Amino acid sequence: MNCVDWEERIALYAGGDLAPAEAPAVEGHVAECAGCQMLLGGLRESLRLVREVHSEPVEAAHFAAVRARVLAELERAPVRRWRFVWVPAMAAAAVVLLLAIWPRPEQHIALPMPHKPAAPLVAKVLPKLPKARPRAPQASEDVVMKIETDNPDVVIYWIAEKGETK
Amino acid sequence: MAQTMDGPDARTRAGDLAAFESVMRQYERLVLVTALRLLGNIEDAKDVSQEVFLRLYRNLGKVETEKNYQAWLYRVTVNLCHDVGRKRKPSVAVEDVPELVSGAADPQQVLTGSERQRVLQMSLRTLSGKERAALVLRDLEGLSTEEVARALGSSEATVRSQISKARVKMRDFVERYFRRRV
Repeated sequence: MNCVDWEERIALYAGGDLAPAEAPAVEGHVAECAGCQMLLGGLRESLRLVREVHSEPVEAAHFAAVRARVLAELERAPVRRWRFVWVPAMAAAAVVLLLAIWPRPEQHIALPMPHKPAAPLVAKVLPKLPKARPRAPQASEDVVMKIETDNPDVVIYWIAEKGETK
Repeated sequence: MAQTMDGPDARTRAGDLAAFESVMRQYERLVLVTALRLLGNIEDAKDVSQEVFLRLYRNLGKVETEKNYQAWLYRVTVNLCHDVGRKRKPSVAVEDVPELVSGAADPQQVLTGSERQRVLQMSLRTLSGKERAALVLRDLEGLSTEEVARALGSSEATVRSQISKARVKMRDFVERYFRRRV
Protein backbone atom coordinates (compact mmCIF):
# COMPACT_ATOMS: atom_id res chain seq x y z
CA MET A 1 0.00 0.00 0.00
CA ASN A 2 1.48 3.34 -1.03
CA CYS A 3 1.00 6.64 0.75
CA VAL A 4 -1.84 7.81 -1.51
CA ASP A 5 -3.92 4.97 -0.13
CA TRP A 6 -3.32 6.25 3.39
CA GLU A 7 -4.29 9.84 2.58
CA GLU A 8 -8.03 9.55 3.25
CA ARG A 9 -7.56 7.77 6.55
CA ILE A 10 -4.87 10.20 7.67
CA ALA A 11 -7.17 13.11 6.85
CA LEU A 12 -9.95 11.53 8.92
CA TYR A 13 -7.49 10.76 11.70
CA ALA A 14 -6.34 14.41 11.77
CA GLY A 15 -9.88 15.54 12.56
CA GLY A 16 -10.75 12.71 14.93
CA ASP A 17 -13.13 10.99 12.51
CA LEU A 18 -11.36 7.69 12.07
CA ALA A 19 -12.91 4.61 13.67
CA PRO A 20 -10.95 3.68 16.81
CA ALA A 21 -10.19 0.25 15.38
CA GLU A 22 -8.42 1.83 12.39
CA ALA A 23 -6.35 4.34 14.33
CA PRO A 24 -3.49 2.02 15.36
CA ALA A 25 -2.79 1.12 11.73
CA VAL A 26 -2.61 4.79 10.73
CA GLU A 27 -0.43 5.65 13.68
CA GLY A 28 1.88 2.77 12.81
CA HIS A 29 2.23 3.90 9.21
CA VAL A 30 2.75 7.56 10.09
CA ALA A 31 5.46 6.62 12.58
CA GLU A 32 7.44 4.97 9.80
CA CYS A 33 6.65 7.33 6.87
CA ALA A 34 8.18 10.83 6.76
CA GLY A 35 5.88 11.93 3.93
CA CYS A 36 2.75 10.97 5.83
CA GLN A 37 4.11 12.64 8.98
CA MET A 38 4.30 15.86 6.97
CA LEU A 39 0.82 15.29 5.58
CA LEU A 40 -0.60 14.79 9.06
CA GLY A 41 1.25 17.86 10.37
CA GLY A 42 -0.03 19.99 7.49
CA LEU A 43 -3.59 18.78 7.96
CA ARG A 44 -3.53 19.59 11.66
CA GLU A 45 -2.02 22.99 11.04
CA SER A 46 -4.53 23.99 8.36
CA LEU A 47 -7.40 22.77 10.54
CA ARG A 48 -6.10 24.83 13.46
CA LEU A 49 -5.84 27.91 11.24
CA VAL A 50 -9.31 27.71 9.73
CA ARG A 51 -10.90 26.96 13.10
CA GLU A 52 -9.18 29.94 14.65
CA VAL A 53 -10.29 32.25 11.88
CA HIS A 54 -13.81 30.85 11.91
CA SER A 55 -14.18 31.57 15.61
CA GLU A 56 -13.22 35.22 15.22
CA PRO A 57 -16.14 37.55 15.90
CA VAL A 58 -18.28 38.86 13.07
CA GLU A 59 -19.27 42.53 13.13
CA ALA A 60 -22.39 42.97 15.23
CA ALA A 61 -23.81 45.33 12.62
CA HIS A 62 -24.33 42.41 10.24
CA PHE A 63 -26.48 40.56 12.76
CA ALA A 64 -28.41 43.70 13.59
CA ALA A 65 -29.07 44.31 9.91
CA VAL A 66 -30.48 40.83 9.43
CA ARG A 67 -32.68 41.14 12.50
CA ALA A 68 -34.00 44.51 11.37
CA ARG A 69 -34.80 43.20 7.90
CA VAL A 70 -36.60 40.13 9.21
CA LEU A 71 -38.68 42.11 11.71
CA ALA A 72 -39.53 44.74 9.12
CA GLU A 73 -40.68 42.02 6.75
CA LEU A 74 -42.82 40.36 9.41
CA GLU A 75 -44.36 43.66 10.49
CA ARG A 76 -45.10 44.58 6.90
CA ALA A 77 -46.81 41.31 6.08
CA PRO A 78 -47.96 39.67 9.31
CA VAL A 79 -50.90 38.07 7.54
CA ARG A 80 -48.56 35.69 5.83
CA ARG A 81 -48.25 33.80 9.09
CA TRP A 82 -51.81 34.18 10.29
CA ARG A 83 -53.40 33.46 6.95
CA PHE A 84 -52.81 29.77 7.57
CA VAL A 85 -54.59 30.03 10.92
CA TRP A 86 -57.52 32.16 9.85
CA VAL A 87 -58.45 30.25 6.73
CA PRO A 88 -59.31 26.99 8.51
CA ALA A 89 -60.85 28.92 11.41
CA MET A 90 -63.16 30.84 9.10
CA ALA A 91 -64.02 27.68 7.22
CA ALA A 92 -64.94 25.94 10.47
CA ALA A 93 -67.08 28.90 11.54
CA ALA A 94 -68.87 28.86 8.20
CA VAL A 95 -69.68 25.16 8.56
CA VAL A 96 -71.06 25.69 12.08
CA LEU A 97 -73.20 28.59 10.89
CA LEU A 98 -74.48 26.57 7.97
CA LEU A 99 -75.45 23.69 10.21
CA ALA A 100 -77.23 26.06 12.57
CA ILE A 101 -79.45 27.62 9.91
CA TRP A 102 -79.94 24.56 7.71
CA PRO A 103 -83.55 23.29 7.96
CA ARG A 104 -83.70 20.02 9.82
CA PRO A 105 -85.31 17.05 8.02
CA GLU A 106 -87.90 16.46 10.75
CA GLN A 107 -89.33 19.92 10.20
CA HIS A 108 -90.67 18.74 6.84
CA ILE A 109 -92.42 15.67 8.20
CA ALA A 110 -95.94 16.08 9.41
CA LEU A 111 -96.66 14.46 12.71
CA PRO A 112 -99.25 11.72 12.49
CA MET A 113 -102.49 12.95 13.95
CA PRO A 114 -105.16 10.76 15.32
CA HIS A 115 -108.28 10.66 13.19
CA LYS A 116 -110.52 10.86 16.17
CA PRO A 117 -111.03 12.83 18.19
CA ALA A 118 -110.09 16.05 16.40
CA ALA A 119 -109.26 17.83 19.56
CA PRO A 120 -106.13 19.40 21.09
CA LEU A 121 -103.81 16.81 22.35
CA VAL A 122 -101.94 17.02 25.58
CA ALA A 123 -98.78 15.01 25.58
CA LYS A 124 -97.24 14.05 28.81
CA VAL A 125 -94.33 11.84 29.64
CA LEU A 126 -95.46 9.38 32.20
CA PRO A 127 -94.08 6.23 33.65
CA LYS A 128 -95.52 3.15 32.08
CA LEU A 129 -98.67 2.25 33.88
CA PRO A 130 -100.00 -1.21 34.44
CA LYS A 131 -102.71 -2.09 32.01
CA ALA A 132 -106.12 -1.71 33.55
CA ARG A 133 -109.11 -3.63 32.46
CA PRO A 134 -111.20 -1.45 30.17
CA ARG A 135 -114.59 -0.61 31.45
CA ALA A 136 -117.52 1.30 30.08
CA PRO A 137 -117.61 4.92 31.12
CA GLN A 138 -120.27 6.02 33.54
CA ALA A 139 -122.48 8.89 32.59
CA SER A 140 -121.25 11.03 35.44
CA GLU A 141 -117.52 10.49 34.78
CA ASP A 142 -115.13 12.31 32.53
CA VAL A 143 -114.00 10.39 29.47
CA VAL A 144 -110.29 9.77 29.25
CA MET A 145 -108.81 8.52 25.97
CA LYS A 146 -105.35 7.08 26.08
CA ILE A 147 -103.20 7.09 22.93
CA GLU A 148 -100.03 5.10 22.94
CA THR A 149 -97.21 6.18 20.66
CA ASP A 150 -94.22 4.32 19.26
CA ASN A 151 -92.22 5.66 22.14
CA PRO A 152 -93.23 3.64 25.17
CA ASP A 153 -92.42 6.60 27.44
CA VAL A 154 -94.82 8.89 25.63
CA VAL A 155 -98.52 8.39 26.16
CA ILE A 156 -101.16 10.89 25.11
CA TYR A 157 -104.28 11.33 27.15
CA TRP A 158 -107.37 13.11 25.87
CA ILE A 159 -109.79 14.05 28.56
CA ALA A 160 -113.37 14.98 27.77
CA GLU A 161 -115.17 16.68 30.57
CA LYS A 162 -118.38 15.34 31.94
CA GLY A 163 -121.30 15.75 29.58
CA GLU A 164 -119.16 16.44 26.56
CA THR A 165 -119.72 12.96 25.15
CA LYS A 166 -123.43 13.19 25.34
CA MET B 1 -35.14 34.54 27.31
CA ALA B 2 -37.82 33.49 24.85
CA GLN B 3 -36.26 30.12 24.23
CA THR B 4 -36.04 27.19 26.57
CA MET B 5 -34.37 23.83 26.14
CA ASP B 6 -37.77 22.43 25.23
CA GLY B 7 -38.26 24.79 22.31
CA PRO B 8 -39.89 28.12 21.70
CA ASP B 9 -42.14 29.44 24.42
CA ALA B 10 -45.83 30.19 23.97
CA ARG B 11 -45.22 33.82 23.05
CA THR B 12 -42.86 32.85 20.28
CA ARG B 13 -45.20 30.19 18.95
CA ALA B 14 -48.04 32.70 19.02
CA GLY B 15 -46.07 34.92 16.68
CA ASP B 16 -44.90 37.54 19.19
CA LEU B 17 -42.21 39.47 17.32
CA ALA B 18 -40.29 40.53 20.43
CA ALA B 19 -40.05 36.90 21.51
CA PHE B 20 -39.03 35.86 18.02
CA GLU B 21 -36.29 38.50 18.03
CA SER B 22 -34.81 36.74 21.07
CA VAL B 23 -34.80 33.50 19.12
CA MET B 24 -33.02 35.24 16.26
CA ARG B 25 -30.37 36.61 18.60
CA GLN B 26 -29.76 33.12 19.90
CA TYR B 27 -29.22 31.57 16.49
CA GLU B 28 -28.04 34.44 14.32
CA ARG B 29 -24.39 33.52 14.50
CA LEU B 30 -25.09 29.92 13.56
CA VAL B 31 -27.04 30.97 10.49
CA LEU B 32 -25.06 33.99 9.30
CA VAL B 33 -21.57 32.56 9.77
CA THR B 34 -22.50 29.22 8.22
CA ALA B 35 -23.95 31.05 5.24
CA LEU B 36 -20.87 33.27 5.05
CA ARG B 37 -18.53 30.27 4.96
CA LEU B 38 -20.63 28.53 2.34
CA LEU B 39 -21.09 31.57 0.11
CA GLY B 40 -17.96 33.62 0.81
CA ASN B 41 -19.89 36.87 0.62
CA ILE B 42 -21.40 38.72 3.57
CA GLU B 43 -24.21 40.35 1.60
CA ASP B 44 -25.36 37.02 0.16
CA ALA B 45 -25.03 35.52 3.62
CA LYS B 46 -27.27 38.24 5.06
CA ASP B 47 -29.88 37.63 2.35
CA VAL B 48 -29.85 33.91 3.11
CA SER B 49 -30.03 34.55 6.86
CA GLN B 50 -33.06 36.76 6.37
CA GLU B 51 -34.84 34.06 4.39
CA VAL B 52 -33.89 31.37 6.91
CA PHE B 53 -35.43 33.33 9.80
CA LEU B 54 -38.55 34.19 7.83
CA ARG B 55 -39.01 30.49 7.12
CA LEU B 56 -38.38 29.68 10.76
CA TYR B 57 -41.11 32.13 11.80
CA ARG B 58 -43.57 30.50 9.44
CA ASN B 59 -42.62 27.02 10.69
CA LEU B 60 -42.37 27.60 14.43
CA GLY B 61 -45.02 25.00 15.12
CA LYS B 62 -43.09 22.33 13.26
CA VAL B 63 -39.74 22.96 14.90
CA GLU B 64 -40.24 21.74 18.44
CA THR B 65 -37.08 21.05 20.37
CA GLU B 66 -33.75 22.80 20.80
CA LYS B 67 -31.91 20.05 18.95
CA ASN B 68 -34.43 20.17 16.12
CA TYR B 69 -34.03 23.92 15.99
CA GLN B 70 -30.33 23.66 15.23
CA ALA B 71 -30.68 20.77 12.80
CA TRP B 72 -33.52 22.55 11.02
CA LEU B 73 -31.58 25.81 10.79
CA TYR B 74 -28.44 24.11 9.46
CA ARG B 75 -30.43 22.16 6.89
CA VAL B 76 -32.36 25.17 5.62
CA THR B 77 -29.24 27.36 5.60
CA VAL B 78 -27.27 24.80 3.60
CA ASN B 79 -30.12 24.30 1.13
CA LEU B 80 -30.62 28.02 0.56
CA CYS B 81 -26.87 28.56 0.17
CA HIS B 82 -26.82 25.71 -2.31
CA ASP B 83 -29.53 27.46 -4.35
CA VAL B 84 -27.61 30.74 -4.27
CA GLY B 85 -24.28 29.03 -4.90
CA ARG B 86 -25.50 27.45 -8.12
CA LYS B 87 -25.61 30.94 -9.61
CA ARG B 88 -22.08 31.70 -8.40
CA LYS B 89 -18.67 31.09 -9.88
CA PRO B 90 -17.33 27.54 -9.71
CA SER B 91 -14.68 26.63 -7.18
CA VAL B 92 -11.06 27.74 -7.70
CA ALA B 93 -8.23 25.31 -8.33
CA VAL B 94 -5.50 25.29 -5.69
CA GLU B 95 -2.92 26.03 -8.40
CA ASP B 96 -4.66 29.32 -9.22
CA VAL B 97 -4.26 30.65 -5.70
CA PRO B 98 -1.67 33.45 -5.32
CA GLU B 99 1.22 32.85 -2.98
CA LEU B 100 2.05 34.99 0.00
CA VAL B 101 5.84 35.57 0.06
CA SER B 102 7.06 36.25 3.56
CA GLY B 103 10.37 35.98 5.32
CA ALA B 104 8.78 35.66 8.71
CA ALA B 105 9.35 32.48 10.70
CA ASP B 106 5.60 31.93 10.83
CA PRO B 107 3.92 33.65 7.86
CA GLN B 108 0.50 33.12 9.40
CA GLN B 109 1.41 35.54 12.17
CA VAL B 110 1.99 38.44 9.77
CA LEU B 111 -1.57 38.28 8.48
CA THR B 112 -4.06 40.83 9.64
CA GLY B 113 -7.52 39.79 10.72
CA SER B 114 -9.06 40.54 7.35
CA GLU B 115 -6.30 38.67 5.55
CA ARG B 116 -6.85 35.64 7.73
CA GLN B 117 -10.54 35.75 6.89
CA ARG B 118 -9.58 35.99 3.23
CA VAL B 119 -7.36 32.93 3.49
CA LEU B 120 -10.23 30.97 5.00
CA GLN B 121 -12.70 32.08 2.37
CA MET B 122 -10.28 31.41 -0.47
CA SER B 123 -9.43 27.98 0.86
CA LEU B 124 -13.12 27.14 1.01
CA ARG B 125 -13.52 28.22 -2.61
CA THR B 126 -11.12 25.47 -3.67
CA LEU B 127 -13.69 22.91 -2.51
CA SER B 128 -16.75 21.62 -4.30
CA GLY B 129 -20.09 22.67 -2.87
CA LYS B 130 -20.65 19.37 -1.08
CA GLU B 131 -17.10 19.18 0.25
CA ARG B 132 -17.40 22.76 1.51
CA ALA B 133 -20.69 22.10 3.27
CA ALA B 134 -19.33 18.95 4.91
CA LEU B 135 -16.13 20.65 6.08
CA VAL B 136 -17.91 23.79 7.34
CA LEU B 137 -20.41 21.81 9.39
CA ARG B 138 -17.92 19.25 10.71
CA ASP B 139 -14.67 21.17 11.19
CA LEU B 140 -15.85 24.74 11.64
CA GLU B 141 -19.28 24.37 13.25
CA GLY B 142 -18.30 21.23 15.13
CA LEU B 143 -21.23 18.99 14.25
CA SER B 144 -20.78 15.23 14.49
CA THR B 145 -20.49 13.23 11.29
CA GLU B 146 -23.99 11.89 11.93
CA GLU B 147 -25.42 15.40 12.31
CA VAL B 148 -23.65 16.56 9.17
CA ALA B 149 -25.06 13.61 7.25
CA ARG B 150 -28.56 14.45 8.46
CA ALA B 151 -28.21 18.12 7.57
CA LEU B 152 -26.91 17.33 4.10
CA GLY B 153 -29.21 14.40 3.42
CA SER B 154 -26.23 12.10 2.83
CA SER B 155 -24.86 8.94 4.35
CA GLU B 156 -22.13 9.11 6.99
CA ALA B 157 -19.76 7.26 4.66
CA THR B 158 -20.28 9.89 1.98
CA VAL B 159 -19.73 12.70 4.47
CA ARG B 160 -16.49 11.12 5.73
CA SER B 161 -15.22 10.83 2.17
CA GLN B 162 -16.13 14.47 1.46
CA ILE B 163 -14.51 15.66 4.67
CA SER B 164 -11.24 13.83 4.05
CA LYS B 165 -10.96 15.19 0.50
CA ALA B 166 -11.81 18.68 1.70
CA ARG B 167 -9.17 18.56 4.44
CA VAL B 168 -6.46 17.50 2.01
CA LYS B 169 -7.42 20.26 -0.46
CA MET B 170 -7.46 22.81 2.33
CA ARG B 171 -4.03 21.75 3.51
CA ASP B 172 -2.73 22.02 -0.05
CA PHE B 173 -4.17 25.52 -0.28
CA VAL B 174 -2.76 26.72 3.03
CA GLU B 175 0.71 25.37 2.25
CA ARG B 176 0.69 26.92 -1.20
CA TYR B 177 -0.60 30.23 0.09
CA PHE B 178 2.16 30.49 2.65
CA ARG B 179 4.76 28.86 0.37
CA ARG B 180 5.59 26.48 3.09
CA ARG B 181 6.64 23.19 1.67
CA VAL B 182 6.88 21.11 4.79
